[in-house]
Amino acid sequence: MGRFWSLLFLLVPILGVGTFVWAMAGWWPMHGHWLPENINAHGGVIDSLFMFILVLTGVIFIATTLAMFWFMWRYDGGANRDPVAFTHGSHTLEVVWSILPAATLVFIAIYQMNAWADHKMRRPKLPSGEMKPPLAEVMGRQFEWRIRYAGEDGIVGTSDDVQLVNDLHLPLNEEIVLAIKSADVLHSFFLPNLRVKQDVVPGMKQYVWFQPTKEGVYDIVCAELCGWGHYKMRGRVTIESREKFNTWLSQRAIEQNQAGYTPEPVESE
Amino acid sequence: MRSIVSLIGLVAVVSGCGAPNAEFRRYTTFAHKVAESAGLEKGFTRDQLQGVDEVMLAMFGSPDEPAFPAIEGIEAGKILNVSHLKLAAGPMGSDEHGNPRGLYREHCAHCHGITGDGVGPTAAFLNPYPRDYRKGQFKFKSTPVGQKPTHADLKKIVLEGVPGTAMPSFKLLPDLEVEALVEYVKYLAIRGEVERGLLDLSTNLEDKARLISVLPTNADDQAKSAQQEQVAAVKDVVKTVAEKWDGAAANITPIPQRQNLTGAELAASIKHGRELFYGSIANCVKCHGDSALGDGQTTDYDEWAKEFINDGKNRDVVRRYVSLGLLPPRTIRPRNLRQGIYRGGLRPIDLYWRIMNGIEGTPMPALAANVRKPEDPPEAKKLNAEEIWDLVNYVQSLPYEPINNANDAYREAHEAMPERPL
Repeated sequence: MGRFWSLLFLLVPILGVGTFVWAMAGWWPMHGHWLPENINAHGGVIDSLFMFILVLTGVIFIATTLAMFWFMWRYDGGANRDPVAFTHGSHTLEVVWSILPAATLVFIAIYQMNAWADHKMRRPKLPSGEMKPPLAEVMGRQFEWRIRYAGEDGIVGTSDDVQLVNDLHLPLNEEIVLAIKSADVLHSFFLPNLRVKQDVVPGMKQYVWFQPTKEGVYDIVCAELCGWGHYKMRGRVTIESREKFNTWLSQRAIEQNQAGYTPEPVESE
Repeated sequence: MRSIVSLIGLVAVVSGCGAPNAEFRRYTTFAHKVAESAGLEKGFTRDQLQGVDEVMLAMFGSPDEPAFPAIEGIEAGKILNVSHLKLAAGPMGSDEHGNPRGLYREHCAHCHGITGDGVGPTAAFLNPYPRDYRKGQFKFKSTPVGQKPTHADLKKIVLEGVPGTAMPSFKLLPDLEVEALVEYVKYLAIRGEVERGLLDLSTNLEDKARLISVLPTNADDQAKSAQQEQVAAVKDVVKTVAEKWDGAAANITPIPQRQNLTGAELAASIKHGRELFYGSIANCVKCHGDSALGDGQTTDYDEWAKEFINDGKNRDVVRRYVSLGLLPPRTIRPRNLRQGIYRGGLRPIDLYWRIMNGIEGTPMPALAANVRKPEDPPEAKKLNAEEIWDLVNYVQSLPYEPINNANDAYREAHEAMPERPL
């Protein structure tokens, strides 16, 4: 019986690692379960940090679970006739297993500092040295994303803003800065393909920046439980060339400024 | 202890699995109101109410199997697309071809209720409350008060949401699903308004009588022709409601093109709009307040509450209707025009329609009655259609205008009383 339990515990590292390998390979039925395609020029840093920490924790995970398996196998009560041995513990061992994880954590903290600063602190600048102004402001609201483009004057919050909901368009290969706000509760503005995730805190205006490198239509999701409709708080981000983006935005501005209506003649019978 | 836990588990298994079939809820508040105003001391009898329920079920089906009655002289397809109703009706899921089912229950029912009565499970927590469709009235539309909204009006609300309320945007749903939801809202609105009509009709019935009598097999001709008359009366009610929806698109208020103003001309238009805002004809200031913060008149209710509770001063009446299913009434606040949040849309034409047509079911009046028509005598104190645009320009400038500017205020005061030194 004891051998059964130790073999069962052996399944933990095997299945754990297997699941990851299977998902990474994209084999059925785990297709599309690994990281979504990265389309942010600065997203590689996030991915390599992710992989680094995954490998680090993975190695420790395998080592720990294998050690547990070995102990269960070696000291199985049914097969083991050795007398019980008492140990008072090992000071050296305790020092080692305290310092090793502490040092690892400090290393991770220092190792990622530059990536953190690049993504959260070093906002892109204009050639003049000023902070690049946001292209649009995204307001999280239960349960939708309200978007406000700066319009021709380049300033969000003026009368020429173009206002939309759930439909964000962005130009390709440019440094995009977005201002993120919340109208009600905590949300999290998450663009999985652009490796952007920023908590949206009521009363705070925060900025995210990234550089999209591939045209297409991608998801905006809310990554912070914000109420019963959290799961349906989805939006759509469309990455397109600068020309297409300009045409699209001016078209939206024209629609928003419609100032006249002639009813279509109703067909008479 | 263990036996109690397993007992609870057993009860949960037996009762929890398999929700009961969804049913439309009876229009209890309105039934109470018409019975009271018709002088029925004990309200409707069980037979009278069951009579209405039966006719409603026969004509409109159930939430799982919606139906739409055939009406003489009206092409049902012109009012609503009955085949689309299937996508929105029933429990959430999909059919054998993968087409969606139960979209209304997935996206709408938790606020607007299965019956479209605006009292779904989450409704009580929202401010403003979700719309009760059964009155057949909608606020944000291109048609005048008393007319039905167009299909496009309803679709715009589903797509864009209503900013400033809990109604979110459903822009990312496929077009077919949005269409289906709009059709289903129309269906619930028509159904609700017909129920009101039938309850009205039932006030004339004897205690034991039904809206449409159930005849024995050996009924004589007189009884049969009486039943025919009953059926005709019911059909009349349906036709009256359906006709209004049929003609909606023909009633859109046309809007003259706004002149493209800039600079000094725009400033003059805004200035004139401001005068109108505070003037006696448009008199926006009365409700929207001296600073347009929406704090002028704050004690009124909307029609959805008012038709039952009047001015809300009689607490007993309020309590009675709340016990019948009305959500505890709240006063309706005039819009704060300085926030730049426009529930019915922010396009200039949306604002024009709101001012010209008013907002149905709310104290916001239509300015149309005070707009000059060709036959009006020249001395009549009325606005020109162009002046509505001045009002729109002023309203559009409000969110970006500093609420107080000491220099301007001082100058204005000086203009009013020039003897004061500047």
